[in-house]
Amino acid sequence: MKTKIKIDIDGKTINASPEKTILTICRENGIKIPTLCFHKSLFPEARCRVCLVEMNGKLVTSCSTKPLENAKIITNSERVIKARKMNLELMSPDIKANELASDFEAKEVYDQVGIDNERFKSLKDYHPDLGAAIVRNNNKCVNCGKCVQVCGKIQEIYAIDFASRAHNEHVTPYDEKKLEEIACIQCGQCLINCPVGAIVERSHLEVIKALNNSEKHVVAQTAPAIRAALGELFDMKPGTLVSGKMISALKKVGFDKVFDVDLGADMTIMEESAELLKRLKENKKEKLPMITTCCPGWILMMEHFYPELIPNMSTCKSPHEMLGMLIKSYYAEKAKINPKKIVVVSIMPCTAKKFESTRKELNTGVDYVLTTRELGRLIKMKNLDFKNLEDENFDSVLGLASGAGDIFGTAGGVMEAALRTAYEISTKKKLKKVEFKNLRSSKGIREGIIVLNDKKINYATASGGANIRKLLRNKDKYQFIEMMACPGGCVGGGGQPIYSDEKILGLRAKALYEQDSKREFRRSHENPIVKDIYKRYLGEPLSKRAEKLLHTKYSERSKF
Amino acid sequence: MQILRQTNLEALKLAKEIGPEKVLDILDRKNLVGRGGANFPLAKKWRLALKNKNKSKEIFLICNADEGEPGTFKDKFIIKNNPETLIEGILIAAYVLNAKRVFIYLRNEYNYLREELEGKIKEVLKKSEMENKIDIEIVRGAGAYICGEETAIMQSIMGYRGQAMYKPPYPTDEGLWKKPTVLNNVETLTCVPQALLYEDWNPNLRLFSISGDVENPGIYEWEIGVKMSTILDTIKPKQEIKAISFGCFGGVMPLDKNSLINTDTICKEDCQHGAFTIIFIGKNRNIVDVCLSIAKFYTYESCGKCTPCREGTIRILNLLKKVRDGETDEKDLKMLGEIAEHIKETSLCGLGQSSTNHIVTSLEHFKQDYQKYMNKK
Repeated sequence: MKTKIKIDIDGKTINASPEKTILTICRENGIKIPTLCFHKSLFPEARCRVCLVEMNGKLVTSCSTKPLENAKIITNSERVIKARKMNLELMSPDIKANELASDFEAKEVYDQVGIDNERFKSLKDYHPDLGAAIVRNNNKCVNCGKCVQVCGKIQEIYAIDFASRAHNEHVTPYDEKKLEEIACIQCGQCLINCPVGAIVERSHLEVIKALNNSEKHVVAQTAPAIRAALGELFDMKPGTLVSGKMISALKKVGFDKVFDVDLGADMTIMEESAELLKRLKENKKEKLPMITTCCPGWILMMEHFYPELIPNMSTCKSPHEMLGMLIKSYYAEKAKINPKKIVVVSIMPCTAKKFESTRKELNTGVDYVLTTRELGRLIKMKNLDFKNLEDENFDSVLGLASGAGDIFGTAGGVMEAALRTAYEISTKKKLKKVEFKNLRSSKGIREGIIVLNDKKINYATASGGANIRKLLRNKDKYQFIEMMACPGGCVGGGGQPIYSDEKILGLRAKALYEQDSKREFRRSHENPIVKDIYKRYLGEPLSKRAEKLLHTKYSERSKF
Repeated sequence: MQILRQTNLEALKLAKEIGPEKVLDILDRKNLVGRGGANFPLAKKWRLALKNKNKSKEIFLICNADEGEPGTFKDKFIIKNNPETLIEGILIAAYVLNAKRVFIYLRNEYNYLREELEGKIKEVLKKSEMENKIDIEIVRGAGAYICGEETAIMQSIMGYRGQAMYKPPYPTDEGLWKKPTVLNNVETLTCVPQALLYEDWNPNLRLFSISGDVENPGIYEWEIGVKMSTILDTIKPKQEIKAISFGCFGGVMPLDKNSLINTDTICKEDCQHGAFTIIFIGKNRNIVDVCLSIAKFYTYESCGKCTPCREGTIRILNLLKKVRDGETDEKDLKMLGEIAEHIKETSLCGLGQSSTNHIVTSLEHFKQDYQKYMNKK
């Protein structure tokens, strides 16, 4: 570590490390510098040229420049402000600051720099790419390249890249195809890293029609990770659990019933742990390690890039698909409602779930999938004062979950939940401690060993595409693997509120662990509703009926 | 011409006799600097790469033959007329740097020279008995001007989009596949054996690419500091010359017959010179038309990476078209100057930074040409 050097920023003397960039130094000292293309975990490409500052009389990009000894740096001179403004205006003549959704990163940048929409007219004329999950509109794109970088370097999917040259340069999937026609896993990480909203989810807000139709019985089911992040859209502190307000808001928006996907997660655990124990008993090499299938992004990644793993995959549907089936069968029977009148709306932290709901082989019970952001929009449309809503509870028929179901929303959670049940069912002993600390770290790959009836089981989890690829290189070491396509798991999903700092993912995860610790039941197999569903309806895990309703199959897809 | 002197592998033989250190000393003493435009001392560049020898055994050598500057055609001249000496220069560089792989990045439009050059490489390798020691590969350029820039050329060779990368790391530290890489221009490498072998080798001679409204366009060899009037006497203007352009890089300057052509004159008023390229512009032409064709070039050749160059160059072109069509006013001219300054100040690489020199200089020296068009309507 080199010794610190003295620099002058806006007249203030600062001792700074010469190894850090000017942008980092400024941020550490509370000086705001606007930028569009900077991403904390990636090498600065210095494309957008909005983070300009003056160093010793020369304009430099602060994201990529390290300070010289005794440098005189000015971050707010007229020259700096003028140059930033010109770059913003040139790259996006059509973006009007007041029309940018407040949750987009660029909003603050545009507010700080201020732009004048009169000087330039947009020259772009692209066809939007309308997918089942993701919509890309290059006319809004500012070519910051973050989506390209994240897709390649963090997710290692390389679905999109730049094509063409000069002012025709644009982001595109391979061969100018649509995202759905290529090997894209629909994870939406491009989307939450797009500062201007040129990439957004395919809206399912047409659900409003169903909500206004009195003939329909509209049911919402909310994923675990929603309650830990929804509050951020209403200026609440990251990591605030808002289950009660969320349910209340959903009711006010017009949903007839609100159910908990955490219960679906409990069902998944019942099926998946039974499947695991069966496979371990059979000990067939080609079916081990068994790999989880809750994450639709990972499933797409597997089908595109690792189809040889199809025998290793659990056949369990994802939790909301399971619960969707149960709503239209178990619940419909119990409440004596014609299943055809039921509309199931999943609220998911995920864009890939939108794609999942179009899969024919799922025979899905889910009619619409809304992201966390869309739910936020729906609540804002209705002008609800979210922060001050009274807390309500999930509807009791399918509304009680165990703590194991809660932690599905964070990386490592599925594994922890499955281990709780698999251990207790197979050994018929109680776990002394249900928390698995090794699965609660912030690492991209987490692993451990558990002993089931004198047999050592090696397990591992990976979140984020690059980590998945890394783990798969040593997959034979393990018997059980959890995969999540988004960094941090569902709390960092492509449907979640846009976050500026990875720390926020940790706070969201912490909220879920807290909810787990407060639950009466912390193991899926203890959940009384789960017990009732098996007793009255399914028989036992992996029964014929369970196989029909709760399991699915996969097929190979092209690598390009 | 000095550049056409053949060394017949004598220089390579000498280099091997005296060893790499002495070769570097001689190049230093002979004051051989890079001819790509930056005038960086050659031996210094090689030493920077050699410094990394402990970190990486492998050093790559790239011969930059992606001569894309409008009006410049000296590398083509060398490849056509003295390829043996160029290849000998490459072999000496590879010997000093201990490089096993050499890439000749040949401009896409020069592909017709490829077969002949490949034949010459084989021939020289055989004669020098180095066939098994070194691999010289000709890479066909990707057809973009930016690929002549040192970081973009490496991206292109590795199979990526040819785009300028942020420096540091510098190529001599981390270049191709993160290994130290030396990049030299065709003219520079051709000078290496000549400088080594000939005591009377003159470091001040430069190749000039002459074109425009003249009777005798072509390649000439003059010393740095040659008088403009001497050049004019040789090349014989077709009409009275009102302006010259040192390649598109250099902007458009009024002709001064008494000026001396050296790095300073060319660099005057912030105009960088690429190589010694002079395009002569006759008095019957309107400078706006000249600028328009330069602007078209840059609007096509911007790599698209950074905002000012990607979005700015097209605005410049559109404004110039408006000027030509007599549809513009003082406000537009002000905007033209403003964008030009902006691109120059805030672009990422040298291409962007100099892509508006023609606007800045023409607005200063040839405002009357703009006015002429503006008054048309």
